[in-house]
Amino acid sequence: MSSATALPPRGMLRIATDATLDKLLSGRGIWPAVPAIVVLAAVAVIPFGILLSLGFSDIAVERGAIISQTFTLDYVRTALADPLTFTVFQRSMVLALSTMLLCLFFGYPVAYLFLIGGPWVRRLILVLTIAPLLTSGIVRTYAWLVILGGRGLVNNTLIEIGLIERPLRIINTHWAVLIGMAQIHLPVMILPLIAVMSRHDRRLDEASANLGASRLGTLVNVILPLSVPGIGTGAALVFTISYTTFVVPQLLGGGNYLNAATMIYEQVVYSLEWSKGSVSSMILMATCLVVLVFIALITNHFTRWTKGREA
Amino acid sequence: MHEPVDANADLLTPPVLSIGGVTKRFGPLTVLDRCSLDVAEGEIVTLLGPSGCGKTTLLRCIAGFWAPDAGTITIDGADTVRVPVNRRPVGVVFQSYALFPHLTVAKNVAYGLRMRGMAKADIAARVARALETVALSDFAGRYPAQLSGGQQQRVAIARVLVLEPRVLLLDEPFNALDAKLRGAMQVDLRQLIKRLGITAIFVTHDQEEALTMSDRIAVMRAGRIEQLAPPEEIFDHPATAYVADFIGSSNFWQSHAEGGRVNLPDGQSAPSHRAGDVTIMVRPHNLAIRPGEDGPLKGAVGFQRNIGALVEYHVATDGGGTVRVMAMRQERGRSIADGTRVTLSILDPNLCAVYEPQ
Ligand SMILES: Nc1ncnc2c1ncn2[C@@H]1O[C@H](COP(=O)(O)OP(=O)(O)OP(=O)(O)O)[C@@H](O)[C@H]1O
Ligand SMILES: [Mg+2]
Repeated sequence: MSSATALPPRGMLRIATDATLDKLLSGRGIWPAVPAIVVLAAVAVIPFGILLSLGFSDIAVERGAIISQTFTLDYVRTALADPLTFTVFQRSMVLALSTMLLCLFFGYPVAYLFLIGGPWVRRLILVLTIAPLLTSGIVRTYAWLVILGGRGLVNNTLIEIGLIERPLRIINTHWAVLIGMAQIHLPVMILPLIAVMSRHDRRLDEASANLGASRLGTLVNVILPLSVPGIGTGAALVFTISYTTFVVPQLLGGGNYLNAATMIYEQVVYSLEWSKGSVSSMILMATCLVVLVFIALITNHFTRWTKGREA
Repeated sequence: MHEPVDANADLLTPPVLSIGGVTKRFGPLTVLDRCSLDVAEGEIVTLLGPSGCGKTTLLRCIAGFWAPDAGTITIDGADTVRVPVNRRPVGVVFQSYALFPHLTVAKNVAYGLRMRGMAKADIAARVARALETVALSDFAGRYPAQLSGGQQQRVAIARVLVLEPRVLLLDEPFNALDAKLRGAMQVDLRQLIKRLGITAIFVTHDQEEALTMSDRIAVMRAGRIEQLAPPEEIFDHPATAYVADFIGSSNFWQSHAEGGRVNLPDGQSAPSHRAGDVTIMVRPHNLAIRPGEDGPLKGAVGFQRNIGALVEYHVATDGGGTVRVMAMRQERGRSIADGTRVTLSILDPNLCAVYEPQ
């Protein structure tokens, strides 16, 4: 081919000004989203449909493939009647909600520091927040094993300064899981908060001070209400990943610690009860959605003013 | 270089706000250089100067956002250096208004009172009165984003006035408004401040606004106050060539003074308190223009424009340079066309100002 043919023929240039193509290229209409919609349908909706159907049917499996499937409500009924279901989901819920609150409790001061800090403080916070995300969650979880273990950093220090005589049992408890989860998920809370803070107009804080507010007054009355969107996003993200987390409870909670994800894993991988696992997954998803909707409603309530223009 | 302007020799009452030799540096840059200014009870003083001359910096020092590197700022005789921002009896109307977007108009206005721990019922009454003052009672329940620029600005003013500050600081409050609204707001705001008897410092780089709003104008140049005087005096007797150039338009000539008189370019002479080389300044409206070539100051009209009842001519003089002349608009057909050869003469030599040579 000669190099001349690499140029588009005149006719094609004319087509480029065609209304449909123009619309497509300028991003109007739903056209630009079509590839994403196709991919989402393929990798999310279809498998979800299969999962759903498993929960409502008896199946026979042969060499990893389903060979027969008959409709039944038995698995749903059994799961809802089983007290273990309630215990496990309650434990997961408490764990996720307390992780969320802990992350908010530790994350918000960092975000506030980011807001009032100079460029170097901001850079440092950003690096320290993002750096852990570059390492594997499993590695960070193992680090907690070292710190919280029977001969770990915490116990050794406590013994050394004479506060305790024998090592405390921290690892393989609910507390170990909570501590690990809060630390590992902290960046996910901090990042949306920082995003809000970096857009915060500091002139509002000056106005607040000029009107007589102390630093605390400004924090409570101006900065906090204006950072609600970040709190909402962070809380929703941390809750979701904590509620559905698998690695941290598995490693720090010990073999017998069951939360929703570890239970589903056992049902599917060890007991090979796909239908049971499917029902558990659906309960997990439904309860998670309920909390997310709740978080969204609260966030909306506190950001009514952003809808001001429409009213 | 001349000495910093004397703060104020002719105040009768003790000043509400007294700024003495305030200096502020950012690294090697001296943004404020020994600024001194006394503001009397109920007076409106305007800081006027080009962008970057330090007007906002001075306001921020008064409000307490920044501490000056040297000098004193006292309010009612009390030093403010150790007083934190939220304890100063100073109200700031920010250029951007800085209204709280998440609070309604009424809550924005109530904010300061709430921070002072006032009882709910008292707050409501005072907020209602403040909103009435700025004619925004009907908008109490709206959020700032639902208001026009002018309304937002009035909220910003009400929010500060409700606290009855000793000193009101306004940093280019009309910047975001269109020209027509600006004019109306200037008059309204001046009347409001005067009615409430508030002491105010007003910042602008618009000279007309300064002339409208102020009791006195402080013309600033690179961190110093170049002249501090009532508007008429600033306009009629600018203390330096810089002030003359900044306020109103002006024509400058280099000349020579001897024996108490200075030669003017049109052949006349004027009294002079300086001797030797000087710069003389003539306002455009102090020049007469006529067709023909019968005097020493000649040239050709290069450009003209109508400004209402007046015409501004730009005359390219034979000596080089462009002279601006402001004249009453002539009847049709009698105006001077572009390119016409003209002669200029000074109407009143006594109104020419004489400065050190530039
Ligand atoms: N935080 C700062 N750090 C360093 N330099 C600053 C800072 N703030 C202002 N300056 C400098 O101080 C000088 C005066 O600034 P200032 O804002 O007081 O000017 P201004 O007279 O208000 O101008 P404008 O009319 O444009 O608002 C400018 O040269 C500016 O660059
Ligand atoms: Mg400024």
